[in-house]
Formats: sequence, C-alpha cells, structure tokens
Amino acid sequence: MHPDFPLPDVDWPPTRELWAGAARGALRIPRCDRCGRGVWYPEPPCRWCGGATMTWHDVSGRGHLFSWSVVRHAWIPQVADRLPFVTGLVALVEDPAVHIVSYIVDCAPESLRCDQPVHAVFRPLRYPGVERTVMAPLFTPTR
Amino acid sequence: MPSATADWGFASALDDVAGAVAIVGIGDADYTRASGRTTTEIAAQATERALADAGLTAADVDGIMYVPFSGDQLTAGDFRAHFGTTHAMWESDRGGGMVWAGSAPYDAALAIRDGRATCVLNTFSVAWATQRAQMVGGPGQVHAEELFKRNLEIPFGWFPQPVYFATIARRHMHEFGTTPEQLGAIAVACRRHAQHTPSAVMRDRPLTLADYLASPLIADPFRKEDCCLISDGGAAYLMTSLERARDLRQPIIAVLGVGVGNSRTGAYWSQQEAFTSTPQVFAAPGAFAMAGVAPGDVDVLACYDPFTIVSLMQIEDMGFCPKGEGGPFVAGERLSFDTGSLPYNTHGGLLSHAYVLGIAHVVEIVRQLRGEAAAQVRGARIGVYGGYTGPQASTLILARQ
Repeated sequence: MHPDFPLPDVDWPPTRELWAGAARGALRIPRCDRCGRGVWYPEPPCRWCGGATMTWHDVSGRGHLFSWSVVRHAWIPQVADRLPFVTGLVALVEDPAVHIVSYIVDCAPESLRCDQPVHAVFRPLRYPGVERTVMAPLFTPTR
Repeated sequence: MPSATADWGFASALDDVAGAVAIVGIGDADYTRASGRTTTEIAAQATERALADAGLTAADVDGIMYVPFSGDQLTAGDFRAHFGTTHAMWESDRGGGMVWAGSAPYDAALAIRDGRATCVLNTFSVAWATQRAQMVGGPGQVHAEELFKRNLEIPFGWFPQPVYFATIARRHMHEFGTTPEQLGAIAVACRRHAQHTPSAVMRDRPLTLADYLASPLIADPFRKEDCCLISDGGAAYLMTSLERARDLRQPIIAVLGVGVGNSRTGAYWSQQEAFTSTPQVFAAPGAFAMAGVAPGDVDVLACYDPFTIVSLMQIEDMGFCPKGEGGPFVAGERLSFDTGSLPYNTHGGLLSHAYVLGIAHVVEIVRQLRGEAAAQVRGARIGVYGGYTGPQASTLILARQ
C-alpha cells in the first residue's frame, strides 16, 4: 500500500494532470481527440468511439450532484475524524457522462438534492498520520 | 440529465445448452464467523459433502472449476492432494462464485459435450472473516489496490462497497421514488429466511421492519442491514450429463437456460452509464429464451445480494417487474418463502445467511427444487439464480425434471 494512503499519487501519469490543474485552481479532464467527448477515467481507448489519444482541457468546474452518500462509519481509520462526511458523484455540465468523485462540502447533508447545481472549490486534502497534503477539487452547492 | 444509451452493455453469445447438463450433487462447508480455516480447506469440506450427496467418489470427478480470486481456491492439484488421487482433470478458471456461480454450468456443459470431462465440480470459498480478524485481505482490498480507485475515489472517501451502493440506492430513490421501507422489506425477508435455515450465520437474529428503520444509518441511505455479512464458508456443486444423472441417486435438476450480460463501463461503478441498472438487462432475456420459460413461471429466485439495492435492481432487470417498480414490488411479503408470490433468497442470502458470494445461492435453488430446503417453497419446479459482479451478470435457470 502507498505510504500516504489514502492520498493520491500526484505523479501517477494517468491522473497527474488532474492534480497539476487543482494546484492552480483549475479542474481539468481529458477529451478524446477524435470524438471530443470526456474520457473518464483517463485511460485510452475512448469508451465512446475507441479513439486512441486524448488531450487534457480546463473545464468550468460546474456540474450537477448526480448522487451521494452521507458516510457515518469509518471503514478506513484515516477518515474517522471527518465523520460524517458527504461523498458522491458530480456530473460535469460540459459532459454529464463524466462523473467526478469528490467530497461535497460546506452544506447541510439533509439539504442536498439529486441534480442540484454544484461547483468546484479547491482545498487541501489532509489525512491523519500523513504529512503531505494534496490540493484537490471538492464541490459545494451553487446558490 | 444523462440517461443510459441502449448500448451500455451487451449479452455474451452463448450456444444453446438447455438440457445438456444437470446438477447432481451439492455441498455446503460450515458457515461461520472467523474460523481460522483456509479457503482451500473450506472448499475441500464442501466438495466432500457434494460427493457424498451425489453418491460419487473423488475419482469420478474429472473436471474442476474455480475462480483465481480471493485467496487460494481448490485447484485440480489441491483436489488430488486432498483426496489422494492422481487422475487427470479438465481445469477451468471460469468457475467459482458471483457471476460465475451462474455461468459455470454453461462452460461445464460445453466441456462435457466436447468430451473434455464427464463430471465437473464447481467450488468457491472465502475466509474473509478470518482474514479480517487478522487484518489482511477482505472484500475492500481488491478495490483499494485498483489504481484509478486509489487515485480518483478513495482520496475523496468514496470507498468501500457500501458507499458505492448507497450512492446507487440514492439515485434509484431519486429516479423511481424507492423508499427505505422498500429496501427494508428485502432485508427483513432475508433475515426471516435465515431464521428458518440452521446453517445461516444470522439464524438467531430476528429483524422486523421497525427494527430496520430504527437502526442507525452507516452510509446514508444504507443501514447495516442493507449490507452483507462478512463470514467464512463455501459451497460446491457437481455437474454431469442428463443421461448420466439418471443413474445417480438425486432427483434430476437440469440446467434449462444460461445468460451472461456485460457492462461496457466495466468495474467503475462511479462511471456506470446505466447507474441504477445491472447487466442482468442483457443476461436474463437470453437465459429465459434458452429455457423457454418466462419470469412469471419462476417458483423461487436467488440473486447475488451484497446490498439490498442490488436485489432490487436485479429483480427489475431480470423482468420480474417493470424497471423502476421494484420498490413497490418487493414491499410487504412478496419475497417470503411461504406467503409471497416470488420467494427470494430463501436461505437468507448474503445479507443473512453467509457471504460466500453466490455459490450457496445455487445450492439453495437446487435444494428447493429437490423439495429439501429449510424454508421450502411448496412445489417449486423452476428456480433461478442471478449472478452479479458489477461489470457482468449471469442468469441460471434450473428445473426439476
């Protein structure tokens, strides 16, 4: 297991661009060079047209809350101090088939509704016992 | 909002194997909490019991199926070492539990038809309770080691499986109006069936709908009772041609139909195009067509049920009710073995019997069709197993001849 678990490896080539973008406050996703659709997870071939290459682009960070769970049990000990938390899937406005998994923050969990507008905010992910932090796109309801 | 394209998955092309093979022996290992046993020991115990049930010896078995997943499964080498034989065996890694508990009879039928084997064993076992007690292994590990999940899901708390499926349940509730009471009806039916089943891990733990609704949310909208057990255990079944089965001691339980469905989006539930569906959409029609029966003909159903919502989705996707109407369909006592119109997971399923990933479901269906189940469905003649892994689903239709 990675020593910084549950933080991501920001140098892993397939997702390195996501973390590089987040470090400067931008949400980035790859699009297929052939059909232009989002390729998520970022792994060719394109699941829509089979295209072999993709290019990363900045997107708006706006999306809709596709679904979520309010987690009240620590299946891994590193999340115990953030219980309860909301984690879920955000459908991007540019390409709703791309579901970004993230924390939904700065909200009352009982106020959330499927498909409500949300937008990205950039915050450092911190976990106990891990010195490093990673700047990451989280999402919050758009008012 | 995004909706699933019609081509989010596909059915595997299968030959017609209706009536080509029968299940002639079944065996359960002991279903327990942490037991200290290895998976190979557990599978060997189930196999001994399946052989005794069929009235066969180890030397009669010339084919063996398992899945190279979750610990050491019973290989041909393990089988020969355990039973002290040296005979040649056809060996396949397309067996085991989950989706393969339903599709193994298809591969066995082809092997028997082609003369590669005459009597095929399928086994699956887990020691996850033991492994969890020792802080190694367990059902989350395979997900934690998958690199896209490691880098794009786990850092955001979307882990492990209860969180994935709670998220699916939330969306199902949004799209179709499914309620906690309806999910609870599935948990209550499975628990009641476990109370009738001496081997069930949860046989002494009654559960009412009020108990369910009063229990704490662990991954809202899920409660603990929406989630499967962690246990040790395993099961086995033996298959041979119908012709040979007629000479054996048990009633003939024939394979009438098999179907396999596949999701194009693979193993990432987060990116599943048809988020509130399973590949049963693609598996079930082929199986029913092969069998020449319809969902309305089914007397007893058992589906791989790691979470209540997976039961609900498969019941819809296999055609037992229209899509989205699973909630009202399962409410009340519809799933009960004695008072319901679709007796479901009559041994208690993964939720209340034991978490052995579907192989015990197939054993239970055989037991029902023989008329020897603990929570027996009166006069059951056609039984169905729905297998599921996420990216794949299988439908296995069995009938008493």
